[in-house]
Amino acid sequence: MPWTTPAASGATVHIWNGYSLAERDRRWNAVRANAAKAGMDCIFVPLGNGVDGRYLTQLRCSAMVLPTDGRAPMVIADRRSSNAWVPEPWQTGREWAEPMGEALLDLGMQRARIGVAGLKGGSVSHCTSIDGVVNHTAFEYVMSKLPNATFEDATDLVGVVRYVKSDEEISFVRQSTEVATAGIDELIKLARPGVDAGVLYADVLGRLIELRSEYFPLALTIDAIGTEKPKRYLNPPLGRRLGPNALITNEVNAIRGAQLTQVCQPILLGKIPDAWKPLIELHKEVYEAGLATIKPGTTFGALTEFVDGLGVKRGVKSVVQLHGCGYGDDGPLLSARSRGDRVRDLRIEKGNTFVWKPIAMTADEKIQFSCGGPLIVTDRGCETLFKREHGMVSVI
Amino acid sequence: MMESPADIEWTGYSLAERDWRWQRVRDDAAKAGFDCIFVPLCVDGRNLHLSLEQARGTRSDCRFLTQLENAAVILPTDGRKPIIISDQESGNDWIPELRPVDGSWGTSMARALIDAGMERARIGVSGIRRSLYTHGRAYHGVVNHSSYAEVLRLLPNATFDNATEVVGHARYVKSEEQIACLRCGSAIAAAGIDKMIELARPGMDEGILYTSVMKRMVELGSEYYPMAFYSGLHGGGRLPRFEDPTEGRTLRPMYRIANEVDAVFGGLIAQEQQPIFLGPIPDEWKTAIDVQHDLYYAALEHLTPGQPFAEFMDFVNGFGEKRGAKSIMLMHGRGYGDDGPLFTPQNRGARNRDVLIESGNVFIVKPIVKTADDSFDTSWGGCVLVTDKGGEPLVKRTPGMVSIT
Repeated sequence: MPWTTPAASGATVHIWNGYSLAERDRRWNAVRANAAKAGMDCIFVPLGNGVDGRYLTQLRCSAMVLPTDGRAPMVIADRRSSNAWVPEPWQTGREWAEPMGEALLDLGMQRARIGVAGLKGGSVSHCTSIDGVVNHTAFEYVMSKLPNATFEDATDLVGVVRYVKSDEEISFVRQSTEVATAGIDELIKLARPGVDAGVLYADVLGRLIELRSEYFPLALTIDAIGTEKPKRYLNPPLGRRLGPNALITNEVNAIRGAQLTQVCQPILLGKIPDAWKPLIELHKEVYEAGLATIKPGTTFGALTEFVDGLGVKRGVKSVVQLHGCGYGDDGPLLSARSRGDRVRDLRIEKGNTFVWKPIAMTADEKIQFSCGGPLIVTDRGCETLFKREHGMVSVI
Repeated sequence: MMESPADIEWTGYSLAERDWRWQRVRDDAAKAGFDCIFVPLCVDGRNLHLSLEQARGTRSDCRFLTQLENAAVILPTDGRKPIIISDQESGNDWIPELRPVDGSWGTSMARALIDAGMERARIGVSGIRRSLYTHGRAYHGVVNHSSYAEVLRLLPNATFDNATEVVGHARYVKSEEQIACLRCGSAIAAAGIDKMIELARPGMDEGILYTSVMKRMVELGSEYYPMAFYSGLHGGGRLPRFEDPTEGRTLRPMYRIANEVDAVFGGLIAQEQQPIFLGPIPDEWKTAIDVQHDLYYAALEHLTPGQPFAEFMDFVNGFGEKRGAKSIMLMHGRGYGDDGPLFTPQNRGARNRDVLIESGNVFIVKPIVKTADDSFDTSWGGCVLVTDKGGEPLVKRTPGMVSIT
């Protein structure tokens, strides 16, 4: 039974939706192909999985059923929204469970094998959401309407499509990096002893959105260099001015064309202590050696071992820190906390885009240094988009 | 003159405030016969984004109870300390000790419930469905499926019932500390509006205007909460709504601007709203604007504690007719996100008729007035605290439409 748009379903919210129809078809066909290989009858992106929804529809909030056999998907869209990719979605207000169930039934999925994107954390998407992102009550309702269907996790079937970027996407990864870099330039320009840390935060965030980045929290960690547990801020710091010898580490994020990128470079309001210099030098070596190793065919296991080994030779530690660029929570996620055992055998591919920011640290982990930014994997290697001079920025 | 962030002395909510919140939840849980209140892992707002309010509201119960951005909470009704599970690296003054997420949220939450002796308990789950007081826009609640399904599987002899109202009611009445934060947020939002009035002119790049307003609020200490911005010529249908700085749009003469300008201080979302017109206000709009002005003040007088919303709704919805116009209640709670009760033109709030107005409630009050022929409508509003004497605006502003000529 076709869904009827509710009479009063609120204001349409306009969001950026500039990718081409060819890009839409590329994404849909790649997901269909993966789903077919896995023996799924369709891919279901339910309420809660907004990021995959946006990737497949360019809508702010949507749910989708994409049949594997090539039929057009059914899309449930929020508040009278539609776009060139999805000109005639089923529109809803606040009721999602019923149209999602109806869409699956309309497409004949009563006894189907349904792949659910976002049910669990994936290898290369929804990486930090280890229990997935699906809304419980709506999903329970859908399952109750299709008691003879089977519902299985298909997060990676969408994830591996997101993992490899098209030329259109890469052009926005470049734009996004330029904006993030402008944000860090602003930070370096304005960070001085005595400056109100909250105003500084506002200035950098303002610069990013002035350049038309979508909002994403700016992370600043601010304390005197050597402080054991420096304080991290995702909002403007209150009650703080920058002091001499303040070390500002940062994650400056920007989003253009829905592509989230990040650059980071520590800033010290003072002279760089001698104890830090060999570590920064080692970091440069690790960073550059990593760039030489990141190329199509390299596994993440090999990259991790290679980077780990560089520090050991010097009696210190070096650790891979890397994650994907993209629609959000992109992987693989490799860090000091998340060693990436699940993706050891995953190979780097042409068209991957990562934020590459390895860590160099002393053996006791008291001094840690990291900086870096996005890169694009090319035919034979990779191209770094982080163009700032390596090292810690010293503002004297 | 407002303080700059470095001069703000507020350092967070007190331990007394924590205990007050926990006790309110425990008391209502006991009344409802629950052995504990369980706030499970909820979906993040970037993924569950039905609206700005709803997105912010997804993990609002955990923020209310812990001041942590992401946590699951088990609060026994009998007065024992809660168990808090979180993926954050460290706790805070309220919650110095966290249980880490071990393998999955589902098994970690189930283990904590078992450790609290809840294998056969009646467990009240907050966020599983919408409620009158909170999560009103999230009809299907905000709870993460895979982890919650795992909890149900691992505690087959416990009973899980919806308890969204229990935490919701605790959030519904604000303490003095919360009111102080909302007052600060309202002042910051008003400063954002002042910035918009200062800059909005024909020829102005709308994206730069958006950025300038947002920057002004963040530099006064607000968390970033996207402004809803509408602009365009009157008469072309509903104005488009933007929640990011726009690209390629420029203000023109005779443009209408509508907005929802929100500031977040102490985790609580305040909102102020100010319609603007880039030209002299047409005569045919003036009656509706005047009626809206009078309705706002009359509504404040009627916003008194101890009465159900029914009478107040009828008063607001009937006000315009007496003046040859139409009036519609537009109003909802203020707090950690997706606060209710919710009255909108889409959702006329009928299910809220029996909800009691209480002293210490804070609402955004922004009734709509339309001309009798529906050719023009206007809404102006701001945050209002319910006191024994009626509604008290948290920041002093004057209803009306700003004309920039």
